Amino acid sequence: MSLESLRAANNIERDTTWAELSFQERIDTAEFRIHERAHITVNGDSCRGCTTRECVVACPANLFVPTSDGGILFNYENCFECGTCYMVCNEAGAITWTYPEGGYGIVFHRT
Amino acid sequence: MTDTDIIVVGAGPAGSCAAIAAAKAGKRVVLIERGPFPGSKNMYGGVIYPRILDELIPDWFEHAPIQRWIVRRSTMLLSDTGALNIDYRSNAWGQAPYNGATAYRPDFDNWLAQQAVAAGAELICSTTVTGLLRDAQGRINGITTDRPDGDLTASVVIACDGVNSFIAKEAGLYKAVDASNYTLGVKETLSLPKSVIDERFGVRDNQGVDIEILGGTSGVNGGGFIYTNLDTIAVGVVLKLPKLSAQKKRPEEIIAELKRHPAIAPLIEGAEVIEYSAHLIPEAGLDMMPKMVADGLLVAGDAAALCLAAGIWLEGVNFAMASGMYAGQSAAQAMTAGNTTAAGLQTYTKKLNETFVLKDHKKLRKIPHLVLSDRVQHKYPGFVTGIVERMFRVENPHPKPGVRRILREERKKAGISLMDLVRDALTGLKGFG
Amino acid sequence: MTIAVCLKWINASGQTDIDDDRFMGFSYADQAALEYALRVAENTNDEVIVVTAGPVGAEAVLRDAIARGAQRAVRIDIDRSHDSAVIAQAIAQAVSHCSLIWCGDYSSDRGSGSVPAFIAAQLSFAQALGLVDIVLPTGAQSPITALRRLDGGRREQLEIRGQAVISVEGSTARLRRASLKGSMAANKQVIEIVTVNQVAVETPPTRAYRPRARAVAAPVGNSALDRVRQITDTSTAKGHGETVHLEPREAAELIVSKLREWGYQS
Repeated sequence: MSLESLRAANNIERDTTWAELSFQERIDTAEFRIHERAHITVNGDSCRGCTTRECVVACPANLFVPTSDGGILFNYENCFECGTCYMVCNEAGAITWTYPEGGYGIVFHRT
Repeated sequence: MTDTDIIVVGAGPAGSCAAIAAAKAGKRVVLIERGPFPGSKNMYGGVIYPRILDELIPDWFEHAPIQRWIVRRSTMLLSDTGALNIDYRSNAWGQAPYNGATAYRPDFDNWLAQQAVAAGAELICSTTVTGLLRDAQGRINGITTDRPDGDLTASVVIACDGVNSFIAKEAGLYKAVDASNYTLGVKETLSLPKSVIDERFGVRDNQGVDIEILGGTSGVNGGGFIYTNLDTIAVGVVLKLPKLSAQKKRPEEIIAELKRHPAIAPLIEGAEVIEYSAHLIPEAGLDMMPKMVADGLLVAGDAAALCLAAGIWLEGVNFAMASGMYAGQSAAQAMTAGNTTAAGLQTYTKKLNETFVLKDHKKLRKIPHLVLSDRVQHKYPGFVTGIVERMFRVENPHPKPGVRRILREERKKAGISLMDLVRDALTGLKGFG
Repeated sequence: MTIAVCLKWINASGQTDIDDDRFMGFSYADQAALEYALRVAENTNDEVIVVTAGPVGAEAVLRDAIARGAQRAVRIDIDRSHDSAVIAQAIAQAVSHCSLIWCGDYSSDRGSGSVPAFIAAQLSFAQALGLVDIVLPTGAQSPITALRRLDGGRREQLEIRGQAVISVEGSTARLRRASLKGSMAANKQVIEIVTVNQVAVETPPTRAYRPRARAVAAPVGNSALDRVRQITDTSTAKGHGETVHLEPREAAELIVSKLREWGYQS
C-alpha cells in the first residue's frame, strides 16, 4: 500500500498540521501588564557603532529592531524580563536594565 | 529594633522555602515578591523533584498543584533526520511517595508561598526590591523597594531574587558576570485534549512524560525538552547565550524547527500555542556560583546559580527549595545565637556542602561544560545516530558490517578524533562517576 | 462624615471567563474612584470606607485599598451572579450612612454601569454618573465641580453638593501606590463582613427582546408598484422628526401620545 493511499484510508492528513503563528500572535499569548515608564532603556548612540547586534537575534520577545539609519528601535512593553539583552550586549552602557515597577510586566499563567 | 527579623526577597521555590523554614523557627518573616502573585514571573523546563519538601511540608504530595507525575523519563539524541531515544518507564514513580512532577509554576510557586503564609510569614506582592540597606559598619540590615516609604530593616536578608539577582551583585558576591555561563530558555505551552496526550505519550490518568533532547537546536549550543501537563504539552529549547546570534536564527524559529523534526512533529500535531515564555538559566554550575554569605545576607536558588544542568540530570527547583530551606534555618539559628555576621551565618554554607545541593554540583562540576561543548553539541548526536542508523539498516545481500567498523567510519565521518572521543568519554565517566 | 468607595472584584487581565483569585483586581475606573475618595478625605479628614460584594477572595481588593489609605473595609457576602439591582441594594444598605459614594463608571468585565445609578435610587441621593473631569473643592463648603459625558461629544457641567453617588471614568485619575508599611498593615486589617439574607428586590423575568407590534396603515396608490414603493422606498425621508416648543407637562404628554401612536407604548 502506498503512503498516500494508507493516509487516505486512515483519514490522516498530510504531514504535520499546526497553525504557524505570526510573532504578534505569539506574543499575544502572554499577558503583559504594561507600566507607563520603560524599565529598560537603550542608548541609541552606542548601538550605532555596534556591529554584532546580538540583541536583535537573541531577544526572545523580538523587542530590538534595527532601523534604516543604523540605530536600534526598542520597545519595552512586551518584555519577558529575562535579562538576555544586557547579557549578550557588547557595548558597555548601551542597555540600562531594571525590573518594572512591582505588579507590572509579564504575568505568566501556564508556564 | 528592626521592622522584622528576616526579609526574603522573591517568592519563588527558594524564597518560599526560606520563609517557611524561618517562620517555623519562630521568626518574624516578610516575603517580598515583585510579581502580582508568586509564580507570575517564573518559568522553567519542566520537572520538579519535591522530595526535599518532606522536611517542611510532610504531606506536600496531597496538596501541591501538580499536573502529572513523571513515569517516563527519556533522553533523546537528534540528528537532522534521526532520533535515538533512551526511554525509561516506571509506574512506581507515579505513586506515593512519588518522584518527579510537572506543574505550572504560577500554580506551584503560589501554593508554596501560601504555605509560607500559613507558617506565619507575611507575603507582600507587587513590590520590586531596588537595593540593600547597610548599617554604620557596612553590614546589610535591610532593603529598599520601589514602594513609597519602602525601606524595610531586618537582621538577615535572604536573596532569592532569581537568575539576575541584583542583590547578590550589589552585595559584591559575584566576581564577574560572564554571559557564557547562562542559557536562554524559551518555551511554548501547547494545548491538546488530555486523551490525545495520553494516547501519544502512552500514559494515562496523571502519569506524565519528560523528554530531554540533545541536538535539534539548529546549530546553536543548547538542548531541547518536551514534557506533558494534563491538557497541554510544553516544548522548548535552551540556548547558550554568547554567539546565539551566530546562526542568525531567532529563539522562536529554533523551537519551530525542533517542532518540525520528524521525531517530534507527530507528538504535537494539531496543538495550538497558548503561551509563549522565556527565562534565563544559570547553567555553569559550581564554576559560576557566587559567595553565598555576607554580613546579614544569604543567597539561595537561581540567585546563587544553584541550577544543575548536567546533561541527563536537569534540576533546579529542588536545589532552590533545599537551599532556601537551609538559608531560612541558618538565618533563624544565627539570629537566635545573636550573630548574623557572615561568620554567624556560615552554618548555611556548611549545610549546602553536607547535602546534595553542593555535593551534586561538585561531583558534576565538569559536566555542564562538557554538555555545552562544541563536540557534544554538534558532532556526537550525528555520530551516535549514525552508528544506530547503520546498525539497524539491513543492506542485504551485503552482510552486516562489524560494529567496530561502523564506529570507526562514523567517527571519521563526524570528524571526531580518537583522542577527543577518549578524552570526552573519560571526562564523562569521571564526571558522572 | 464618611466617604464610601465601591470596588468591583473582577479579572484584572481582561479575561472575563477566568475566576481565579490570582488574576483578580479592580478596574481602572474603580481605581480612579478610590483615588478621588482618598483625595477628598485628605482635604476634609473624612473616613474612607471601601465596599465590595463577593466571596472571601474579594477581600484582596479591600486590603489593597486599605494599603493605599482607606480606613475601613466591608465585604458584602453575596453571590455575584445576582442582578445589578440586588447587588446595588445590598451595597446601598452598607453605605447608607455615607455622604459621598464613589464608584467607577462601569467595570471592565462587561459592566453596564447600572450599579451606581441603582445605589443612588435606593438611597435617594443625587447622582453624578460617568464623569470625565473632576475638580475637588479647596474649601470645605464649596462643591465638587465636574464634567459629565453626554452623547454626541457633549459635556454637562455639574456641581455636586450634599449626598451624592459619583461615578468616574478610568482615565480621570491614576491611583496612588500603597506604601510598604501600608501594605503590611493592610494584611492585618479586619474586614467587616455583611451577610445578605433577604433579597428584597424582585427582578422581573427577562426575555428575549422583541419589538412591539404596531399598526401600519395599508399603502395607498394606484399601481402595485406605487404601493410597494410606498412601504419600501428609502430615497425620501419620512421620519417622525418634529420640533415643538411646549411647557414640560404638555411636552411629556405629547411624547407619550406620539410613542403610543408609533406603537412603542401600549
